[in-house]
Parts: sequence; C-alpha cells; structure tokens
Amino acid sequence: MSSQGEKPHVPPPSLWPIGFAVGIACILIGLVVSWPVAAVGAAIAIAFGFLWIRDVTGSVREPVQAVEPETRRVADTGGAPKALEGREAMPPMSEEEIAAYPRSTFLSAATLGLGGVIGGIITVPVLGFAVLPSFTNQKDQSVELGPLENFAEGQFVIATYLEDFEIGEVTRRTVFVRNNGLLEDQPSFTILFSRCVHLGCPVQPNGLVYDEQKKTVGEKRVDLTPSLVTGFGCPCHGGQYDTEGNRTAGPPVRALDRAEFSIRDGKLWLGQFYSVGNVESTGARARIKKYDHATPGVHVDGPEAWLYPVEVPG
Amino acid sequence: MASRRIEERRAQHTRYKEDVERTGKPFFPHAMFHDTVMSLVVVSVIVGLAVVWYLDADGTEAGVLGPHYTEEADPGTTNFIPRPDWYFYFLFYLLRIFKWPESVVLGTVGIPTIGLVLLLALPFLDLRRERRLFRRPVALVALLLVVLSMGVLTYKGATARESLGSELIEAVPQWSERQGFAGKMEAVEGAEIFAQAGCAQCHLYLGTGSQNLGAPELTDIGSGERGAEYFARYVQNPAQFGNNVMPPYAALGEENLQKLGVFLDASKGTEER
Amino acid sequence: MAVTPARRKSPRRAQIEAAALYPLDWLEERSGLVGAIKYFLFRRVPRDTSWAQTLGSASLTAFLVQAITGVILAFYYKPDPDKAYESIQIITNDLTLGWLVRGMHRWGASVFIILMFLHMARVFLYGAYKYPRELNWIVGVLLLTLGMAEGFTGYLLPWDQTAYWATVVGININGTAPFLGPFIAQFLQGGAAIGSDTLSKFYSIHMLVLPGAIAGLIGLHLYLVIRLGVTSPPWSPTEAGRERAPEPPSTNGREGLIRPSGRGGSNGE
Repeated sequence: MSSQGEKPHVPPPSLWPIGFAVGIACILIGLVVSWPVAAVGAAIAIAFGFLWIRDVTGSVREPVQAVEPETRRVADTGGAPKALEGREAMPPMSEEEIAAYPRSTFLSAATLGLGGVIGGIITVPVLGFAVLPSFTNQKDQSVELGPLENFAEGQFVIATYLEDFEIGEVTRRTVFVRNNGLLEDQPSFTILFSRCVHLGCPVQPNGLVYDEQKKTVGEKRVDLTPSLVTGFGCPCHGGQYDTEGNRTAGPPVRALDRAEFSIRDGKLWLGQFYSVGNVESTGARARIKKYDHATPGVHVDGPEAWLYPVEVPG
Repeated sequence: MASRRIEERRAQHTRYKEDVERTGKPFFPHAMFHDTVMSLVVVSVIVGLAVVWYLDADGTEAGVLGPHYTEEADPGTTNFIPRPDWYFYFLFYLLRIFKWPESVVLGTVGIPTIGLVLLLALPFLDLRRERRLFRRPVALVALLLVVLSMGVLTYKGATARESLGSELIEAVPQWSERQGFAGKMEAVEGAEIFAQAGCAQCHLYLGTGSQNLGAPELTDIGSGERGAEYFARYVQNPAQFGNNVMPPYAALGEENLQKLGVFLDASKGTEER
Repeated sequence: MAVTPARRKSPRRAQIEAAALYPLDWLEERSGLVGAIKYFLFRRVPRDTSWAQTLGSASLTAFLVQAITGVILAFYYKPDPDKAYESIQIITNDLTLGWLVRGMHRWGASVFIILMFLHMARVFLYGAYKYPRELNWIVGVLLLTLGMAEGFTGYLLPWDQTAYWATVVGININGTAPFLGPFIAQFLQGGAAIGSDTLSKFYSIHMLVLPGAIAGLIGLHLYLVIRLGVTSPPWSPTEAGRERAPEPPSTNGREGLIRPSGRGGSNGE
C-alpha cells in the first residue's frame, strides 16, 4: 500500500536539471571569459532551477497549504508525521498521510541540505583561512653573516641574526658556524642550527665561549661570538651532540639541523635550513644526505621515518 | 546476563531517585552553604597567592612563588634553561625518561594519549555497580599508582638539573676546596674548562654531572700518578689510547688541554670516599 | 507564628511585596527562568553529601575568577611580539591593581587545574562515574583537557623566556604525533617556527575558542548533574540508592517507580 499508492503521483523525469546544469556551466565559463556570459548563465540557472523545484514539489504542493508548522513537528517526533490541521492521523497511514509523507521527507531533506550548504559556504573559506596561511605564506631565509675573515678555520663562531629584519626579534636565530677551510679550492662551512632536534629547545655549546670577543657586523646587525666548542648540550631533556651535530646521548632523533651557505663578494650568506639523519666523517669531508627541514622530534631516516610519511609544505 | 545487569542498575538508579526525594535535603541552603564556604576559600587562596607572589618577587627576581616574569623572549638564546609550568612537570620528566631516539614518540604522544583514552573509557571499563573503594581493588591500585607516579614525576621534574657549563662553573670553588688544589691557579682554570666543556655530560665529578656512554667517574682520576701530560694527550685524542667512545677534544687547543690535564692530575679524590 | 505578623501588616506590606516581586513575576511569566532557578536551588540532594562534593563548584568558581580577570587583563594586554612583554610589565608594575588582577589570573589557573584534578579524584573515589553518569565523566575529562590547553596557551602570553620556550616544546610535542603531527605543529606556529602570528593565534584560542568551549561544556556538565543527581558517599550508612534487604517485594524496580511520590509526600515533608 505504502509505495504502490505513491506511484501515480511520481512525475515523469523532467529535463529541467539539464537546463540548470547548462546554466551553471555558463556561469563557470563566464567567470573565465566575461561577466555577461556569467550573468546569462545565472539567469538560465535560476530559471531552470525554479522550474525544477516547482516540478519536484508539484505533487506535494497540491493537497494542503499548511507547510511550515508541519515540518517542525515532523522533525521533533523523529520522522513520524502526526496530523494535518487537527485531524487525527495516529492510526497507521491514512490517505492524507501518504500524500503528505513525501513532502515532509523532501522538506526535511531540503532543510538539512540547505543548512549544510550554508554551513559549507561559511566554513570552507573560514577553515581555509584559519589553516592554509600557515603552510603557504612561507619565505626562504637568506641572511648575510659578514666577511669570511671573521670565521677562523676549524673553530665554531656563534652567529645570532634576525631571519627577517622587518619582522624583528621574533625571528632571531642562532647558528654555529665553523669554517672547514678549503676543500678542492672551494670554501667549506659547517652551519648547525641551535635548536635541539628532540623538541626544539635552545642547545648550549659545551666549551669556552669568548663573550668578550663578540662583535656585531653588517647593517643587519649580526652578532658573532668566537668559541672553542667541543659539542652541544640541550638544557631540556639531556640531548647531547658532537661537533658534527651527531647525537651522542639523550633523546634527539637525528643530527642537528644544518643550513645551506653561499659566498658572495667575500661574504658568507646563510641559506635554507635542512635536516640530516646522521653525518659521517667530519668537517669539509662530511657526507650528508639532505632532507627538507623537518619538525623537531621527527625522524627523517630509518624505520621510524615511516611514522611521518607526508612532508609539510612551505 | 548483560540485560540483567542493565535492569539491576536501572533499578538502583530508580531507588536512588526515590531515596533522594524522600530523605534528601534541599540543595539551597544545606549543600550550597558548603559550596559557598569552599568557594570563599578558593577565592581567598587565589588572592593570597597573588599577593604573596607580588610582594615577594620583584620583576625578574624570583620570590618563593617565582618571578613576576623572566627575561623577554629571545628565540636565539644559548644560555636559557626552559621549564614548563608546574602542572606539566610530569610530562616534562616523562620526556626525560624516554632518552632513546626510538622512544621519543612514546613519551610525547604515546603515553599521554593512552592515558587520556583510558580516562575517557573508564566508565566503560569499570561496569560493576560496586562503589565502595575497598571492594574495587583494581581501581584502588590504579588510583594509588597514578597518584604516586604523577607525584614522583612532578617532583623529579621540579628538581631536574642539567650538568650545563653555566651551572657547573659555580661548583668550581667548592671542588678546588675539597680536592685541595685551591691554590694552584692552573688546576682551577682547568676545572673551569672541565665544567664548561661538557665533560660532566658523561662523567661524574664529586657527585655532579651525569653518567653516559659508560664513562668513568673522575673524582679520583689523578690518584694513579700518571701526570698532567698524559691526561692532556688522552683528552686530545682518546682513540690513541684505545678509547673509541670518547670524542677527541683537540679543539680546546694546547693551552687549555694542559690546564685540563693539570686539573685531572690534581683530582686525587676526597678523604670521605 | 511567622504568618501572623505578616497578616497584620497586610495592606501596605502586601502592596510592597507585590511591587517588589513584580519584576520576578514578569520574568517568570515570560521565560519560566525563575521557576528553573527555583528548581535548581530547591532540588533535593542526598542528605549525606558533604565537603568533598564542593570541589566541582569550587572549580566553577575558579573558572569564573579566570573569566573575569581574563576579560579585564585583555583591556591592557597587547598580543604582539614587540609589545606583549612590555604590556605585561606595565600591567604588573604601573597600572593600579594590575598586579593583583594578573596575579589572580596567574594563580587562579593553577588553582583551577588543581581543583579539577581533585574533583576528578573525588568522583573516582566515589565511583560516581558509573551508570548513569558515564557521559558526565567524559564531559569532565574533556573539561580537564581543555583546562590544561588553556594553561598551555595562556603560558605563552607574557612572552618571556619561560613562556616562549615552554611553548616551543609544547608545540613540538604535538609535532611528533605520527602522520599529522608536523602539520599540527606548523598550524599552531603559523609557519615553520614561532613567528609574528603565533602569539595572536594563541591569544585568540586562549580567550575565545577554549573559554567558549569550556563554558558550553560546563553548562552540559551542570545540566547532567542536575538531571542525574549527586551521588552519596559509597560508605555512608544512609547512602541514597542502597539495596534494601529486609522486604524483598517492595524493592522491586517496577514498584519503586510508582511509590516515591506518595511516600515522599507522607514522610519527607
């Protein structure tokens, strides 16, 4: 009785959706080509959309007029339509109810659907704006660390600089720079980033730091402090590194991050940071496999790296 | 079986409602009086802490309840020792416990997540109606263990110290006193290098430092009369002496190595050892 | 006895009372709020509830202290890496009573967290998370987690060394989570490292997102407490809902459903 009785009311499949789709397509093309096309497309879409809705709701609109209160009641009672204008409808499936039922389904579906559309229109851009800038608006660092003669061969210089001079103190970074001398007539530098690769604490150089010999070079005011470093220690969770940045004790999951360098007009320029798993050999001869700069605590090699299969962009 | 349990607990809750209706007291003022007194205590404690904190500290100088603020954030620092707020000390120490690279993720995410999931799932793990603590042995033991371990972790976190140069160097006068080389300028300077160069990261010296990589305690290393020169050469390149674990410290330079050697040679150990 | 004098003064007094009560009646007629509050205040709780059961409301008080002092601190605080530290110094040292409000907010946070832990321990000891209060336990655990998150996000705001580095570590702890960790870390930082947007992001989370969520969950938590009732201490001789051994027929669940109103009327009042 329930579904068979409905059959005669079901309208034949209409062509309105196709017209609607053509309208939407016109809008999309118009967005690229020209505004008038989009406007025409919008008109088509609205017209056919209206006809389509009229068509679909046609069978529903015929019997009764009171629409609004009923949907609410239906929603409250969990899909069991109760009554039409005071008429007793509790006995199972009266004629009116069968007529009414498809309408309430449609209306509740439409209400939920439209609500979802509203939610989507609001949430998608908002969520996008909340999340995406953290990954897209990223800049590469390029900082001048001053003339090469400030970097005595074989010794670490503690360099503190602003990654972005305009933004200011919040971009202050420290790197440990060691001049490895010439390798095949090419200058070689080892540049270690001062952040522990366990959880990002500021590592401290083990050894003697000659604070009194600190000097500030360049317009961007880079501080250079000579030192005799025998390794690096992390003050948080006890990580220890040797002078190549390799872990010697504690929880660090890889060697200290390093930075690219270049030499322009006799000055040392700092490039991008990158991560390394483990450094073999030392100084200029160090063999390094570079990975994209990874979050502290993230393995870049070995089986644990499988825990972090997707690299963060930016 | 299960349905009987459900019926039983429903009946109990019905009984509860009935009992409360029959013999219960009105929330206001009988229970709310207690609540209000407690809230007064809470607010007083908060204000009291604020007052003591403010009066006892001065800017970056700490009082009993810590400083008003520490130095301004310096993302490029090389001498700051980070610590979390006290209620994260347990997590902080947990991270120190997992001191192998392979286990980092256990301390950071694994154990806290397991703990949180257990906490959330508790009502579904413990389905018995019994509420008397001494008839819930598992719950009792779990509670005691959690309280105990949180307490221990928090305490350890609060008292955790690093064998960092900046902290160790203050112990040098005491070392020279106890080892009896206070008058020997070279040995004292060697001790300062020892403190700063990270030796105590692996070696124990007079109870300070931490033992890593199986390194020996150095308090009485000089008792063998091997001479300052021997130690200077050893530290310069341990591999020559068959030690492939300790890294070379040639980077310190000859002068500093000599001082270090003198200091180690002067470390004869103390009487009480 | 209390009734007689009132009746004697009745004409004027009744007038005054009516005038005084008029706003309440007006409100009640239009909203039913007065009735709801009356229900909340005069609802019955087990007779053996005591001090241990005040920890929940004490946590609520601590939260309210945090909310009020937080709003006021927001008048003067500047969530900008260049100005935050200075504004904290000004609040503490220069502005009248700034030290007190900041101190209350700072220490209120610790008190709030301690109270939540104690409250949870009490609920655990009493077995009060059992049927039918499972959902309320879960809401409570969520509140505790959000409270800790409040502590974490608020810790950064003074922008001093302690704050900065604790946040670095906290963010990177999230960063080690398998698969999504690095993304979470970068999202929280607003970039590859803590930068100019991180502070305002934490500020927004600290004073809008989390307090909103906490307030909502507290509402749900309280609603469930009122709906399900407060548990008696399990060791109490007059524990509400205990088994009644002597007369088996009367303890049947079905009868219990019908009885309470009648019995409550005759015995309780």
